Amino acid sequence: MSSHAVHSITAAKLPRRRKAGGLRGFGGAMPATFLVILFFVVPVLALLLRSVLEPAPGLQNYETLLGSTTYLKVFANTFIVSTLVTICALVIGFPVAWALVIMPSTLTRIVFAILLLSMWTNLLARTYAWMVLLQRTGIINKTLMQLGVIDQPLALVNNLTGVTIGMTYIMLPFVILPLYGVIRTIDRAVLRAAALCGATRWQALTRVLLPLAAPGMAAGGLMVFVMSLGYFVTPALLGGTSNMMLAELIAQLVQSLVDWGLGSAAAFLLLVVTLALYAVQLKIFGTRQMGGR
Amino acid sequence: MTTPFLEIRGIRKEYGPVVAVHDVNLEVDRGELITFLGPSGSGKSTTLYILAGFEEPTRGDILLDGETLLATPSHRRNIGMVFQRYTLFPHLSVGENIAFPLRVRRWSKADIDARVRRMLELVRLNGYEDRKPAMMSGGQQQRVALARALAYDPPILLMDEPLSALDKKLREEIQHEIRRIHHETEVTILYVTHDQDEALRLSDRIAVFSQGCIDQVGTGPQLYAEPATRFVAEFIGDSDFLSCDLVGSNGTTADIRLGDDLVVSGVPLHGRPGERARGALLLRPERMDLSRQAGPDKTGLPVQISDITFLGSNIHVAAATGWGETVSVRLPFGHQSISGLSRGDTVWLRFDPGAAHVFT
Ligand SMILES: Nc1ncnc2c1ncn2[C@@H]1O[C@H](COP(=O)(O)OP(=O)(O)O)[C@@H](O)[C@H]1O
Ligand SMILES: [Mg+2]
Repeated sequence: MSSHAVHSITAAKLPRRRKAGGLRGFGGAMPATFLVILFFVVPVLALLLRSVLEPAPGLQNYETLLGSTTYLKVFANTFIVSTLVTICALVIGFPVAWALVIMPSTLTRIVFAILLLSMWTNLLARTYAWMVLLQRTGIINKTLMQLGVIDQPLALVNNLTGVTIGMTYIMLPFVILPLYGVIRTIDRAVLRAAALCGATRWQALTRVLLPLAAPGMAAGGLMVFVMSLGYFVTPALLGGTSNMMLAELIAQLVQSLVDWGLGSAAAFLLLVVTLALYAVQLKIFGTRQMGGR
Repeated sequence: MTTPFLEIRGIRKEYGPVVAVHDVNLEVDRGELITFLGPSGSGKSTTLYILAGFEEPTRGDILLDGETLLATPSHRRNIGMVFQRYTLFPHLSVGENIAFPLRVRRWSKADIDARVRRMLELVRLNGYEDRKPAMMSGGQQQRVALARALAYDPPILLMDEPLSALDKKLREEIQHEIRRIHHETEVTILYVTHDQDEALRLSDRIAVFSQGCIDQVGTGPQLYAEPATRFVAEFIGDSDFLSCDLVGSNGTTADIRLGDDLVVSGVPLHGRPGERARGALLLRPERMDLSRQAGPDKTGLPVQISDITFLGSNIHVAAATGWGETVSVRLPFGHQSISGLSRGDTVWLRFDPGAAHVFT
């Protein structure tokens, strides 16, 4: 997966380079270009067309989406949850990735196996497992009450807290793997040098390690944020009916209300935001080598 | 008795079953440049890492001005270090790298700027302030690393083979710079190398490491003229060894027999003489002479010339003893004793017994 993140960045740079080189060598890229047009450009165009043509030509679908507090709340929910999930995943993922780098390699392999196993386990099964853990009579609430930390069970499920917890868990591998890839390339002697220069552990972390790991944080963080924006299963199961996220909204618009125009507009907005974020990340980290060297 | 500036006392370091450092003892004077010279794996870096605080010794103590350093964590030891690998912070410019130790010490901006400029001057890299390390050559990076390590006036500077990745010419240039900087700053330098030329060129004193111990400490000439062990003799300068029998000894000198019948008395002895023990006679190439006759005063060993090489001001003569060991004699050009000699001739090898050494 770390290579996935790296590839997605280099792959995104390719079209740029090709533009710079003019149309020379374009012939060899024909099949690929055709596939991209067929499977990406055409559906996106269809989406765009439906969003401005149905039920009548015009931008009224976008006006509806951006003009109503109900829909804006869905957008807000989506961004808040995605941001929280990204932050939580990075905060938890960074120490885990660091630990994976410094632990003995046999242990690293075991942890990776566990990570991959969890990723291969059915998403629904994992989400239901969280439902069981987080419910009012679940093990988390029971333990906390027995320890005397709380008197009343916490509402951990059927709200955005549950969604954030469940999604953070599901997204963790997507920050750990690219971060592991970047942190592994950082020479530990550089950190020793920082220590002898007088840097405390905290200063070495914030002034040396984190800046050097920034490309990995950006790659992993962006991937998690973008995946979270369009995530459906976990919000649908762990979230309450009153706190909808964007993917749920799109599903409802298309499936229950059969409002293809509004659904397409929402989906298109999601796509635009995603691409914009991607462009920002490329602008900041695209020209720099991953790993900082 | 005055307390030494820096004292390494009985340091031992084990990694599981591996003993990286056996028992290292050393006293270092303030302002000295001392090299740790020894083959790879002899425990030089480990000793340095213990000084830096990256490793804790299994046993022993490090004393700075009489007080233990071991209780102080790396970042508060106020020691400078230049590493074998390039360890500049890749995301910071040259100027920011040098400023890093000053920033974490919360110096004022004006002081930092002034100091960075002075350090760049010291390592002769004025104008490179805004470069990123990746845009600098290896030699330049190590000079920046030196500037960063000296920026905060550490009393001790550790250097772990900082030039081993550079080519010979550049290495010599920077060795020269290091000596100059050592004179200008008067910092105490502990310098690790496996290269005897580097050690001889740089240091006030050399500590010769072998298998986790220091065999001998001394100036280059001392180590060359009075090696304490066969290992030191082999490591410093060129050397020839001839096997011999010990036939008598008074504890400090020995009488030895070379081959079947030549007995030489009064050779300085290193090590304990046993009954009819075997020994190794150390001869330096430039301390030997060749002659056409066995002289009466000096000792003479018949050898057969196997090769003569002209090397400008020197001539190297390789010769074999009757029992098949070889020696290499270095004679100044024009030395009369070898004029007209050629391969296959038999000559007498002579040496001053008092300047030779025998090791048991
Ligand atoms: N972290 C370590 N774990 C196990 N063995 C080590 C470790 N560090 C060094 N050693 C061993 O200790 C010995 C001395 O190493 P070192 O101090 O690096 O030697 P030098 O710097 O003189 O080449 C070597 O045999 C090396 O393999
Ligand atoms: Mg070493």
